[in-house]
Amino acid sequence: MGDIRQSLLPRDVLSAAKELLYHLDIYISNLVQSGRQPPQVDTKTLELVEEFILHSPKDRNVQPRRMSALQELQLLEIMCSCFQEQSRDTVRQLMFSALFSLQGNQADESRMALLSKLVSMSVAVGRVPILECAATWLQRSHRVYCVRLARVLVDDYCSLVPGSMSTLQNIHSSSPRFCCQFVTAVTTLYDLTTEDLTPPLELLQMIVSWLQDDPHLVLITLLNSPLSGSQPISSLDLTPLGGLVRWCVKAPLAYRRGKKQGLTNGTSDSETEAGPLFSTLHLSVLQVLMLLPNILNEKGLFGRLALLQLETLATLTSDLSRLLDQADKHGHGPSSDAHVLSQLVLDRLAQALQVALANGALLCSREDLRAICSRLPHNNLLQQAGSLVLLWGREGVVSLTWLVGTGLAVLPSMMRGTVGGVIFWVCFAFCKFSRGSESHRAI
Amino acid sequence: MLKEKAMSVVCDAMQTSHPHPPPSALSAQELSQEIKSFISGVDSVQGRKLSVREHARCAVRLLRSVPACRGAVLEHLRGVYDEHVSAFLHHLETEGDGSGGVSSNLEDIIQEVHGVLSEFIRLNPRAWAPLVSAWAVDLLGQMSSKHAGRRATPHSSSLNELLQLWMSCAATRSLMEAYSQCLAAMLAWCPDACVDALLDTSVQHSPHFDWVVAHIGSAFPGTIISRVLACGLKDFCSHGSTDPLLAPAGGGGDKGSRVPKIGSVVGILGHLAAHHSESIRKELLRMFQESLSPSGPLSPSSSASSWESSPQLRRSAVPFLLQLAALSPTLLGAVSAQLVELLRPPILLQLQALLLGLPREELENMLGLAVHLISQSPAGGARVLRFLADTATPASVIISGPTPSPLDGIREACDRLLQMLLLHLHKLVYNRSDGSEAMGPSHHAATSAPPQRVVPFLEELQAHVGELCAETLRLERKRHLWLHQLLCLLSVYGGPSVATEALCQLLTQARNPEELALAWQLHTPLSACLPGLIPAAVGRCVAQIHTHTLGPRPLRQLLLNLAAAVQSQDEERRGAGPVAQASMAVQVGGAVSGHLHDFGPLLLHGDPAVSHAAARLLSTSPLPRRAAAPAHLLQLCRAAVAHFFVALRRRGESGSGRDGGQAGEAVGCSALLLARLAAYSSLALKAVLQQLVEGALHKGNAELFGGRIADMAGDTPLSPSLTPDLGASLLDTNCRFGSAVNFSGSVWSVFHAGVIGKGLKVRAAKPPRDPATVVQNTQTLLAVTVQCCSSSPLNGGANGSQRQPTPDPDDPPPPINAEAAKVVAMTLVENICPDVANGELSWPPEEHARTTVERDIHIRRCFEAHPVLFPLLQVVAAGRPALCYLSAVLRGLLATLLAHWEASREALATDSPWHLQASCLLVSCMGEGQLLPPVLGNVHEAFPHLTPFEVRLLLLALWEYVRGNGPMPQKFVFSPERGLFCRDFSRDGDVARYVAPIHSVLHKNIDRLGHLCWRFQL
Repeated sequence: MGDIRQSLLPRDVLSAAKELLYHLDIYISNLVQSGRQPPQVDTKTLELVEEFILHSPKDRNVQPRRMSALQELQLLEIMCSCFQEQSRDTVRQLMFSALFSLQGNQADESRMALLSKLVSMSVAVGRVPILECAATWLQRSHRVYCVRLARVLVDDYCSLVPGSMSTLQNIHSSSPRFCCQFVTAVTTLYDLTTEDLTPPLELLQMIVSWLQDDPHLVLITLLNSPLSGSQPISSLDLTPLGGLVRWCVKAPLAYRRGKKQGLTNGTSDSETEAGPLFSTLHLSVLQVLMLLPNILNEKGLFGRLALLQLETLATLTSDLSRLLDQADKHGHGPSSDAHVLSQLVLDRLAQALQVALANGALLCSREDLRAICSRLPHNNLLQQAGSLVLLWGREGVVSLTWLVGTGLAVLPSMMRGTVGGVIFWVCFAFCKFSRGSESHRAI
Repeated sequence: MLKEKAMSVVCDAMQTSHPHPPPSALSAQELSQEIKSFISGVDSVQGRKLSVREHARCAVRLLRSVPACRGAVLEHLRGVYDEHVSAFLHHLETEGDGSGGVSSNLEDIIQEVHGVLSEFIRLNPRAWAPLVSAWAVDLLGQMSSKHAGRRATPHSSSLNELLQLWMSCAATRSLMEAYSQCLAAMLAWCPDACVDALLDTSVQHSPHFDWVVAHIGSAFPGTIISRVLACGLKDFCSHGSTDPLLAPAGGGGDKGSRVPKIGSVVGILGHLAAHHSESIRKELLRMFQESLSPSGPLSPSSSASSWESSPQLRRSAVPFLLQLAALSPTLLGAVSAQLVELLRPPILLQLQALLLGLPREELENMLGLAVHLISQSPAGGARVLRFLADTATPASVIISGPTPSPLDGIREACDRLLQMLLLHLHKLVYNRSDGSEAMGPSHHAATSAPPQRVVPFLEELQAHVGELCAETLRLERKRHLWLHQLLCLLSVYGGPSVATEALCQLLTQARNPEELALAWQLHTPLSACLPGLIPAAVGRCVAQIHTHTLGPRPLRQLLLNLAAAVQSQDEERRGAGPVAQASMAVQVGGAVSGHLHDFGPLLLHGDPAVSHAAARLLSTSPLPRRAAAPAHLLQLCRAAVAHFFVALRRRGESGSGRDGGQAGEAVGCSALLLARLAAYSSLALKAVLQQLVEGALHKGNAELFGGRIADMAGDTPLSPSLTPDLGASLLDTNCRFGSAVNFSGSVWSVFHAGVIGKGLKVRAAKPPRDPATVVQNTQTLLAVTVQCCSSSPLNGGANGSQRQPTPDPDDPPPPINAEAAKVVAMTLVENICPDVANGELSWPPEEHARTTVERDIHIRRCFEAHPVLFPLLQVVAAGRPALCYLSAVLRGLLATLLAHWEASREALATDSPWHLQASCLLVSCMGEGQLLPPVLGNVHEAFPHLTPFEVRLLLLALWEYVRGNGPMPQKFVFSPERGLFCRDFSRDGDVARYVAPIHSVLHKNIDRLGHLCWRFQL
């Protein structure tokens, strides 16, 4: 394959890239057919890709050739059709990774740029094979790059082109895998630490609607991944659950902060719109957590795979305690508004912890949980969540009666909250009941 | 539900933002088709080629629906815009061809694109503004330079025309608007990036791109100006600092190619200066200040752009600003005035610290540039000059204010700068040709130099000549040397008018000989190239006097200075003064003599100091060589005489002491002036004498000489309030006339001495003057009169230029001129008793005297009232035969005396002291005047020893003699050996019969008069 370089050199940028793609297709097809395991693309070929498609400078003396935006668009178009027309998944995957696998060299920048454009365009024109490949890429690549890709997509569809959100929204029907990875990447990206890292409203709406339509969506990667669970280091989480929990818990504080800053601009309506959305999202997350035992049991991973990492939660709680402190300081004493917010935050945290613990998404001891929650302000639900660990292991019935009692006790305070909150409690109580009786039976 | 809501939100947004949204729900398939069509330019469904507008529409659709395509779409749109611009320009070039169809065709597309873009920017500025602004700026730059050479495009130097052209083109206007929108949006959070892109493009496409920057600049002056400056500074720092002096030397022609960026900066700022000069000035000054302020913590308020933080950039800020100012007179004008205000000592110290770091060569260049700039700065030159002089003056001399004295280094630098400036100005002034006029030392260079180069610095200073002169005259060391040199240059530059002004100012403002010497120093170099300078200057001074612009003190100073100038002429005679000064003095004297009549009125100035100064000037200055106009001369004489009396009065009032001394000097000056006037011409002589006599007898002046005005008949000496009302009213009497005759208190009973029956009229009891003063005054008057009379031009043939040698006390006084004496005599007659003027000279018999009693009494009272008359009589008597003309007056006086002595019942003549004295004086005068022969002339010596009756006898004898031998001037003959007229009494009748009464009286009183007998021997 290395010998074609000489023939590519005199060509103009676009046709050289086209020709290389063509050769790459043939080369990889041959590779797959040869049946060597695992099929490996050699370094020479990767260098050709870098030189003629990504146009990274081969050596410092030669000025790298650049494509104009139009040529690039043409190249993207060709790639789209190329992947579309390739019928074999293996070949397609290999080709995709030959083109876009990160190599840790300076070509990675242009690689990322091209990949972002390709994925963005595929979303627009609905190229499912490419999205599938991209989902795989998102699974395998370092989370920093995944986050970048996500960011490009969010920028493109949420902010740059008004009205194009629906295009992105539609892909959940065509490529749920990509959607799942996208959500994971997005929740990793927007950690609500700053204004800039607060998810746009449109994005939030989209994700909420996705989860409402199909709670399984966020578990697709988990469902499809092999049992071994040997994930590449620093890749994205297997599920977006951790990120989603963080969103739901931190959101009231984050948006409150945003409101405070945005007072002059009068953009406080984002809070009023975002509040119900996060409640809905929270409910969806809890629902998804409750789906877990079945799936994990089927895979035989119940109690072995922690979908929520304890470290993630520790970070979350320390962030929370800091934010709550700040809210107290700025709030001129315990104003009712700030108090309600902090209780909402802590309630959500406690609910998530309880449900996650109950459904085997969080694997930890009571002491661990106490330790990470120790710095948080007082909250009834949270305190009882700490004791739940103990109770849960010993006596289901006790916990069940206790839970119902707690649920009824907390209910009035939650009435002030959202409809979603109420729904949650009703659902939660029911589910608990059935779940508790099941486990009791098992014991 | 939520999904629907989200959709509806989106749709709402789209509907409100754009009236005609494209079919929003393009399926993935359709989008794919669109992309294919867009790439190939062929309608992928119908298979036909897309037109430009269809293609563009397709692009816009993609822009709306496929985010990944935006780069390509924008790139494609470049072509569309470019095509429109081409069509537009083509249409312009082939005006009226009707080929405007293309441009109008594309215009709607451009509108559409613009609409989409501006909608995007509005909805999401953070995402779109950087993108679109970069694109728009780049495209603008590309098109500007691409079409720069077209026939329809104006040259890049004419910014306004360019602006007009491009703003009339839809494509460029749309781009410009889009960019402005982006910039407005981005100013909030990252103005730097946006402007940097603009300036980078500007540099790339300079100078064709300047119109964009200029336009944007006028929309966002605050941001753009500072950024443009910072950008220019960076460029200057990186490569411009090597040739700082090339540009000013080469002028403005090729600046574009030599220093591209600074040229652009100048162009842009120049454009902006029309409306934002204030902001530009602020920015420039801010740049200057911040480049100097210590590089510690920067103030957060400053835009904190990068240049402040780089030491190298900070260091080159000052050279950069200088360079900028050199390239643009507008900027120079904007800054120069205020810059000086900024240069307080702390700033100077910083500046010095900054400049110390520069290589010597560069410093030299900067110095040269600064000098050039100062000489070219159109405004504020005076302030700059003052600043330089203030700073360069040695510290010990500066006592002004609490400002700490600058360091020596700074002072020396300023000193140097000032000297270089003077040198530079010198070159400029002397190298410019001035038409026909030869320019002194650089005469040879005049031919090659360009004609009439204007030096704005000097132009401006011309208005400040007065201040400069004042500064110069303060004689602070060094400083006055600089200023003097500058004045000299200014005079040469400005020509006669400025030179005249300067000299005039110096003459007016100098307060002592040292200061006055500056005027001569100024004149010396100028006299070569500006002839007639001094007459012009003096003329100007006179004009100043006429316009009353000078207060009393300066006016006095001016007069004194002129006098001093003229006086130095005398010193020259003695060989004391420098030659230059002397020749000047002659010129000044000549000039002043031409304006005598202008100075004359100043003698009567209300301020004594001024009038004194005027007298001094007039007494020293030569009189005109040519005969002065009689009117002027008479006016001058009148003024001089009036001043004389005023001076006398003042001397009397001021008493002794300094004032007294000054007053005495004033009298001296005045007397000298009178004498010189009298010597000038017979007309002047007559006028002076006449005025003098009249003045001495004038009501106001009489008391100076011991006169008592109240004694004159017909006067109402006292105000009615002081007089007790006697009930004598002429009006009453007249009213009652005819109804009743009442003689008491009637007009008939009113006599000169009072109302009959009511006793003598009350005399005004005015305190008499100090006798010593009276004597002194009288002496002075006489001295002046005598001097005037004896210095007659008639016998000496003297004219104005010839001086009267100062009279030596040892020499006998020169004889009194007869003609002059006659003038005095005639004047006396006219003043004492106008009735007898031109009357009969010969005397009637004594009995007839009673017909003229009234007149005689009037004459006697006149003598009583004016003691000064007797000395004057003596003067007249000395100028024989002038006394003849006083014959009627003498007769009147004698008649009253006779009457008195006849009526007197006193025992001795000494009991009537006044009459005795009058008689004595009268007789002695008549003897002196040779109206009487010596025997009779001596008769008064006996009077004090006689009785009134005997006195009468003797006087009667005199009368008889005069009656017999009439006092006729023709009886006198001129004796050349004595220089006098004399009367030969031998031709007259026998004297003996008139001597008989004398002898009788002698006999009668021989016991007392024995010692006098010899006096009366025939």
